[in-house]
Amino acid sequence: MKVAIAQIAPHLGDMEKNLDIHVDLVERAQKNKVNLLIFPELSLTGYTLQDFVPDVALKPDESPIFQRLKQLSEGISLVVGFVEERERGHFFNSAAYLSEGKTLHIHRKVFLPTYGMFEELKFFGQGKNFLTFTSPFGKAGLMICYDFLHYGAGYLLFAGGSEIVIVLSAAPGRGISGKDGWETSHMWELMGESLSRFSTSFIIYANRVGFEDGKSFAGGSFIYNPGGKLLAKASYGDEEFMVTDIDLDEIRSFRKKWPYKRDEKPEIILEALKRVVKTYED
Amino acid sequence: MKINAPFVEKILTKFIKEELSKFHFSRGILGLSGGLDSTVCAFLASKALDPDNVLCLIMPYGDTYGRDIDDAQDVVRFLGIRSKVINIAPMVDSYFKGHPTDNKILIGNKMARERMSILYDHSARESALILGTSNKTELLLGYGTIHGDMACAISPLGDLYKTQIRELAQYMGVPEKILKKAPTAGLWEGQTDEGELGLTYENVDRLLYQMVDKRRTADEVIAEGFKKEMVERVIALVKNSEFKRKLPPIVKISDRTVGHDFLFPYDREK
Repeated sequence: MKVAIAQIAPHLGDMEKNLDIHVDLVERAQKNKVNLLIFPELSLTGYTLQDFVPDVALKPDESPIFQRLKQLSEGISLVVGFVEERERGHFFNSAAYLSEGKTLHIHRKVFLPTYGMFEELKFFGQGKNFLTFTSPFGKAGLMICYDFLHYGAGYLLFAGGSEIVIVLSAAPGRGISGKDGWETSHMWELMGESLSRFSTSFIIYANRVGFEDGKSFAGGSFIYNPGGKLLAKASYGDEEFMVTDIDLDEIRSFRKKWPYKRDEKPEIILEALKRVVKTYED
Repeated sequence: MKINAPFVEKILTKFIKEELSKFHFSRGILGLSGGLDSTVCAFLASKALDPDNVLCLIMPYGDTYGRDIDDAQDVVRFLGIRSKVINIAPMVDSYFKGHPTDNKILIGNKMARERMSILYDHSARESALILGTSNKTELLLGYGTIHGDMACAISPLGDLYKTQIRELAQYMGVPEKILKKAPTAGLWEGQTDEGELGLTYENVDRLLYQMVDKRRTADEVIAEGFKKEMVERVIALVKNSEFKRKLPPIVKISDRTVGHDFLFPYDREK
């Protein structure tokens, strides 16, 4: 199958312009016979929204923008990032998997970074789940940015049977002493390599580029195969439309050789985790 | 502390280009002194923008620093960018005629603000966005004039220490004579930053890097060999200059207040 990552620079708070970018790239993906096209975190709105969050929030069932995106998903799967309004006045940093005119899955970001340069908990409600769902290409799971850096999140998708893990990201680059690009990019690649290998799943990481208030989004989107091999990596800092052929049969071949999934015992982990949590002091 | 210079050049160039285009500017303007930081800024601007769209204002005080003006003009010629020389002596002299002082700092600050005022005027005349030339060392130590040389629209060099700018300058091919010059704020004849601060950039940058970037405590860096007096002095400089890095505090009395809970990004809807 063909996977495309849209390493774009969304316009901050301008959904019309961003929708145009999405529409153009869906057309481009269709011309390239792409089966799955992935956009970065908050691809419809941009990242540093602050008090602008309510103005760009969408209800997937009602929003005309969402209807348009669903129409575009005929014959191609799309993963997009957006601000979701669930109950009135409650907003989430969400990602949706769209296919054949339907919303197959919505993930709400669980780990909202609020430290140093980040302040997401001020503006967003917290998601509660890491659930897998059945995509046209196998069991899949979504994560958003900082979710991916918590290995419990990766474990839950693994335990839930994921074969394809899709990560939408808006990660700013930090550290300029590295040999190649941002020092922080290495951290994402390390997790990509580890999780792909030990969950024997494809890991598809779509990061954005561009600047918002001086933050430079790092790019460096990538795909690892289920054996920890890097299949493709986009540049650090440049917009890119990266199309990669992946072979879904590799999931089977790696799981035959490395039966981590077969031998996993989520029930033991669950009981042990309960005991661990009980030892926590109040 | 070493930087990947080609990558830094790429990111800074992109930043200048993208910020200008977001705000629908095609031109950039900066004050060029003939020193290292403003020269590097001019080099970056000429890479990011069409050279015709980079305007450098060379703003000497009378005939002082004649060599610096020559160096600045060499940079302009070398890069093929635009420049304009404006002598600030008449404005500055006229002010101090009415309000005389011997205090060199007061005179230096007035000069820095005169240059700022001319830059902002030309920013509007030329529809050009002001590129700041302050570096991270100066911002942290507060070694700059508030609303003077610290004023700008965007700051491409604000996260690079002075020694890192020198590294970038070497990579970008900045002329040797500018690289070797002793850094000076040009506040008075013979003034050098290192002389006035009583610190060398090499030392202070290494210290700031440990304390700011690596989050080491004073005790830790002293244990590693930095002199106690120097560490204490640098901490005091950083602490006492916080006001130069912030907008002034607004007393909160309403439900929603600028800066407190009226929070919007600079790049809003850009």
